[in-house]
Amino acid sequence: MTAASAPATPRPAAARRGAGTAVLGSGRLLRLELRHNAMLWLLPVAFALFWYNGYREIMALPPMWNLRAMTLQNRLLLDLVVPVTGAAAWMGSREGRRSITDLVAGTARPRWSRQLATWAATTAWAELGCLACVAVVYIITARQASWGGPLWWPAVVSAAGVPALTAIGFAAGAWFPGRFVTPLVTVVAFFGLAFSTQAASGDHSYWQISPLTAGAFDVGAGSEVATFYRYLPDLSIAQVMFSAGLTVALLGALALPVARRRWLAAVIIAAGLGAAGTAVTLAGTGRLDPHGMIVIPALHDAASDQPVSYTPRCSQTMILVCVHPAYASFLPAVTAAVGPELTEFAGLPGAPARISQVAEIYRQESGNGITITAHLASPSEFILPDLLPGQPGATSDQFTANLEETLGLQLARDVILGGGDRAAAPGPSQAQLAVIAGSVRFPASVEPRDLAPLYGQLLPQPGSPADLAGRRFAALSPAARHVWLAQHLTALRAGRISLAQLP
Amino acid sequence: MNVEITDLTRRFGRNQAVDGVSLQAGPGVFGLLGPNGAGKTTLLRMMATVIPPTTGHLRLLGRDPGAYGPRREVRRRLGYLPQNLGYYPGFTVAEFVEYFALLKEMPAARVPAAVATAVERVDLGGRAKAKLRTLSGGMLRRVGIAQAIVNEPELLLLDEPTAGLDPEQRVNFRALLRDLGQRATVVVSTHLVEDVGAACSQVALMDQGKIVFDATPDELTARGTEQGTGDAPLERGYTAVLAAARS
Repeated sequence: MTAASAPATPRPAAARRGAGTAVLGSGRLLRLELRHNAMLWLLPVAFALFWYNGYREIMALPPMWNLRAMTLQNRLLLDLVVPVTGAAAWMGSREGRRSITDLVAGTARPRWSRQLATWAATTAWAELGCLACVAVVYIITARQASWGGPLWWPAVVSAAGVPALTAIGFAAGAWFPGRFVTPLVTVVAFFGLAFSTQAASGDHSYWQISPLTAGAFDVGAGSEVATFYRYLPDLSIAQVMFSAGLTVALLGALALPVARRRWLAAVIIAAGLGAAGTAVTLAGTGRLDPHGMIVIPALHDAASDQPVSYTPRCSQTMILVCVHPAYASFLPAVTAAVGPELTEFAGLPGAPARISQVAEIYRQESGNGITITAHLASPSEFILPDLLPGQPGATSDQFTANLEETLGLQLARDVILGGGDRAAAPGPSQAQLAVIAGSVRFPASVEPRDLAPLYGQLLPQPGSPADLAGRRFAALSPAARHVWLAQHLTALRAGRISLAQLP
Repeated sequence: MNVEITDLTRRFGRNQAVDGVSLQAGPGVFGLLGPNGAGKTTLLRMMATVIPPTTGHLRLLGRDPGAYGPRREVRRRLGYLPQNLGYYPGFTVAEFVEYFALLKEMPAARVPAAVATAVERVDLGGRAKAKLRTLSGGMLRRVGIAQAIVNEPELLLLDEPTAGLDPEQRVNFRALLRDLGQRATVVVSTHLVEDVGAACSQVALMDQGKIVFDATPDELTARGTEQGTGDAPLERGYTAVLAAARS
């Protein structure tokens, strides 16, 4: 230690501390905090958790923006909550753990300002991690998706949730700076967040405010949600408002012990809690709209209800099959599944020249139940199955089976039984049932009990003479069946064809 | 006077840590001696504006630290080394000192030069980029001194500053104290009476929360000429004063 070797820098007579100096000082402090932040070291853990839990599942989904963006919102924060809240709690408890409270208490910078710098650095790294995860998913999806662009609201909700998580962890660490606060707050935050997704019940549930909830509880990331119609930001806005309000309230609470700023802290806390409470209340006014999204009347923009214009993608089959361009990658699977029917019925009376995919209609039932129906105005409209290959629990076989049960039977019914109001018509004849059964081919994975509601209505009873006749008819090639139907369809519809007359 | 203390008390529950202390100190090095539990650290914490007094008046650098604005001004001109120095092991020496320079709201443009100067003055210039976790106890103590002096304080409060320093470093430190005491008020709380003798122009002795002696080191030495125990004259003065206070 030297007294003379390094002469002291003379203190300026009146140190002027303008706003620029304060900002520069805060910037240097933030830089120091960024370099020595636990979140920086936990980023690899966060990425690993996201890769293991979220990324693999998201990337297994069909490359559709709505599916991946909404699933991302549902997964990302849950994957990040442990490292993010833990790092924030660790940083919040740092002064207490390191017994440095006396040293920093005697410095001029207010405690709140000091804590904000630490919190901001933690949040910056956590936010970087969050946005990196979003970027990876979105960049890959942009290369794979056949239609549309990024849905930003799910990403915004996740990004807004990160400061709330760090605020929770940091506040807990600052208030209870023990060695156990970090694991404790991490566990509580994880289970709290996970529980929030399970507690929702119906479209009026306040629990929809959870930043993990993307859309209606029982639909979530449905393939048709936000495809034919725009992504409604109503619930996302409420969720962002909730996260921001919670963050502000917690940061305000950190300033509460400072006597001079107590009134200001109280105002900030009240503003934050007000915003969060308003957001929860708004979420409770939600209702499921027919297109599968949550509408919050106070936040809703009616202009968002207009359908999105698009140019459909059509097959090169005898009956054109046209789907929404977002489903373009499934068009080959659709035409392969109902290819025989398309060949067999093409050009016959009642057969459409083109069938086009239309949107499903969603309706909230009691509890979490939601019914999904379709209003098919003409034989030229159809819907795709709810579950696409790649979605959890869905396989290609199931997709094909569902297509036969819907589109295949729809085509056969419209051609064999004829259009018009069939409610007043007598039930189908055994020969008609046999021809329908012979025309529609269900995959081996479809079990008889799945088709039971159709027996007598559109399909013959198994083992009945009509069933046997249907098997005979099915043995013909699609072209042969087409030729027979072209000659006998009028008589078949009129009920003048018996089972014995079937080929 | 940079330090004006009148009837200052501090109570922790039933424990009266500081009991009616009155002191005045201007520029120079002020030694605060006393046995364990005498109230030295509590008095220093009040002077460092870390804890408020229970009763009494405290004026530092001509300001009342009880009010927010003056307290903040005092803190900008204050250097404080607590008895137990906490630190962030991942910080380097320079970063730790810079951190406190920024917390003391030094103009950001002046910080790098001030940090370099402070680190040099405690002979750690060669270890400026070393992580604190790699330093010895004595080096850490010097880092603590560097953060205390980085803002060229007008009031410097040092609680057991030489604990852990080797003899050579203690000699150098006393020289540093004398230099700092030419412009600022330096209050040094210590058990080591030789530090007081070598560096202080004024010394107070605390016992059971009270000031029992307040004069120059020479006068303390004089108290030990007829009675008191110890190897050095100051030690004999110290024990004599304590014995008289307790009798």
